[in-house]
Amino acid sequence: MNALDLLGFVTVDAFWSALAALGFAVLFNVPRRVLVGCGRVGAAGHASRALLMEGFGVSIVAGTLAGATLVGLIGLILARRLRVPAMIFNICGGIPMVPGMFAYSTMLSLIRVVDAPPDAGEAFLISAGINGIRTGLILAAIAIGIALPGMLLRREKPVV
Amino acid sequence: MSAVSRTAKPPLEYEVLTDVIDLALWAGQMLLQSGADAARVEETVHRMGTGLGCDWMDILVSPNVLLVTTISGDQFRTKVRRVPRMGVNMTIVDEINHLSRRIDHGELDRLAVRAELRRIDTLHDNYDRWTVVVMVGLACASFSRLFGADWGAFGVTFCAAAIAQWTRQELHKHHFNTFMITAITAFTAGCVASLASVLELSDQPQLALAASVLLLVPGVPLIHSIEDIIYGHVLIGLTRGLIGAILAMCIALGLLLAMGLMGVSGL
Repeated sequence: MNALDLLGFVTVDAFWSALAALGFAVLFNVPRRVLVGCGRVGAAGHASRALLMEGFGVSIVAGTLAGATLVGLIGLILARRLRVPAMIFNICGGIPMVPGMFAYSTMLSLIRVVDAPPDAGEAFLISAGINGIRTGLILAAIAIGIALPGMLLRREKPVV
Repeated sequence: MSAVSRTAKPPLEYEVLTDVIDLALWAGQMLLQSGADAARVEETVHRMGTGLGCDWMDILVSPNVLLVTTISGDQFRTKVRRVPRMGVNMTIVDEINHLSRRIDHGELDRLAVRAELRRIDTLHDNYDRWTVVVMVGLACASFSRLFGADWGAFGVTFCAAAIAQWTRQELHKHHFNTFMITAITAFTAGCVASLASVLELSDQPQLALAASVLLLVPGVPLIHSIEDIIYGHVLIGLTRGLIGAILAMCIALGLLLAMGLMGVSGL
């Protein structure tokens, strides 16, 4: 993929992930004044992952960790500027990266195992295992990534 | 907290302590059932109590119960409150967070805090139900594009997710069990999304099926699960993870029934 194609791909990706983040922001009833910010954070996270994966061949888990860290960082900055909990941006920004397709494949493969012919069950089990591991690791990468900036930058003594 | 500031506050009357613990529990309960992480609940309740004149607050955040002890001078009170519902409402999290900071700065007395909490508790949603239906439909349809689906699957996903969201709202109104709501909603989404395959509206009907149930994915409990464990709230973290996994199984169950009914393979 040359640079121009890559730019186009990432832009389209940013558009759809912003829309996905916005939809979930509305579902989570975020305050109206942070709605645009939620869309931006969602686009930044997912598009940066797409750029890393397509442009630099980074694996999806490492890409997700980087994208989620960016979400956490922008979330901290926007939270300070708009005076809202950073959690709002973290959640809405993390949502587009949630591995829905892998989770779907995992569940479907597991269900297939039940009525598979005797010698074909292993294939579904392997598919469920692979997709399950991907789902789990990507989810963990999202959660750790969005928590990282806060853990590194806001280390005041806990009040409790 | 230093020993100096501990003794600097005048001791509160027993009745005042009762009032403070009630207010702090109310705020904590609203936070927990609006999808705040355990550390935020703990911090906010503590800040509210000390801001209203207590020396110290001890808080136990467990998966569906809050336990708070307020301490002032030689007096202390302890109270438990059930938190049966778990939803997501970011506006309430934002409002309570703001309120606790104002209390911390000494801007509000107990009467004003009670009025504010009552206002927050009765806040209307920022978006009317049809806006939510359309936006959730668009969000899931966007996911189908991110998965690489064509416009046929995009359209089917939009319809399926929007109808599913409407179904979920109706079921919520009638107080069905959360897991049941998830399964029935997934079933509805699956039935509509199967039309992509039945009516041959798309070359990748499986993407419409996968994307149309994403509105149900328990993203908030799953993300909080790991965050809570990171910050030392292991029990509530594990509970959230387990609830997330069971909700995912409910989605699978609903989808399976829909695919069986519609005669769609899904891969």
